[in-house]
Amino acid sequence: TGGHTTEILRLLSCLSESYSPRHYVFADSDKMSEAKIRSFEQKRAETFSNSQFTLDRIPRSREVRQSWTSSVVTTLYSILYSLPLTYKRKPDLILCNGPGTCVPVCISAFLLGLLQIKRTIIVYVESICRVETLSLSGKILYYFSDYFIVQWPDLKKKYPKSVYLGRIV
Amino acid sequence: FRFKDSLAEDLRSADLVISHAGAGSCLETLEKGKPLIVVINEKLMDNHQLELAKQLHRDGYVLYCNCSTLVDTLQSMDLSALKPFPPGEPEKFALFLDKVVGFQ
Repeated sequence: TGGHTTEILRLLSCLSESYSPRHYVFADSDKMSEAKIRSFEQKRAETFSNSQFTLDRIPRSREVRQSWTSSVVTTLYSILYSLPLTYKRKPDLILCNGPGTCVPVCISAFLLGLLQIKRTIIVYVESICRVETLSLSGKILYYFSDYFIVQWPDLKKKYPKSVYLGRIV
Repeated sequence: FRFKDSLAEDLRSADLVISHAGAGSCLETLEKGKPLIVVINEKLMDNHQLELAKQLHRDGYVLYCNCSTLVDTLQSMDLSALKPFPPGEPEKFALFLDKVVGFQ
């Protein structure tokens, strides 16, 4: 969604062409991200000839301030929905930055790794908005990601397993 | 106006921006090099939205007030005391990721 999409496209801006094909996954309720992604990829295609990407929509796992119990149900549903998608794409690397949408995708990749079907490197970058506290997605994925990147030093102190590279968006 | 696709044009021609604490608004304004006053409404806002505004203020990039102190702030502000906002460095992320996946 919105700010998350803008941030993640900035993260992608300096990546080499080796990071291909790119599979974008976003919430079905998200109206604006598709346009931003297409615009980004179009610009990228001007420099790199072999640009491949796909777009997939999944049900949104949680609305803002949704109750705890119903969030568990909707997130479980999203995980079930994400499993065939993650299985189909079998990504080598998952890069995400915090919208609720990323949790089911990462959990499904984590499960496929446990089942020895596909080992995916999960890289989580917490939003620049998070200076002192982690988002809910961050709190969950701190334990499931291979690399957890924060953009402010306070968070590095609180979450010692995280990586601090400074401001990267 | 209500909602625009992009505020880039307005930002370009502005001398001073007064904004709420939304991250997108703050960062977009700072990246364009415009002086920014962030107005906080603690009653309406999510705690976490304040984090970024407070940090940007602590680092000297923005001025900071609430609705009732806005007029005072405008009258007494010293915009030259604001520091220029250095851009983020996605290249550092790319270098890091290349090492992680083994592209060196």
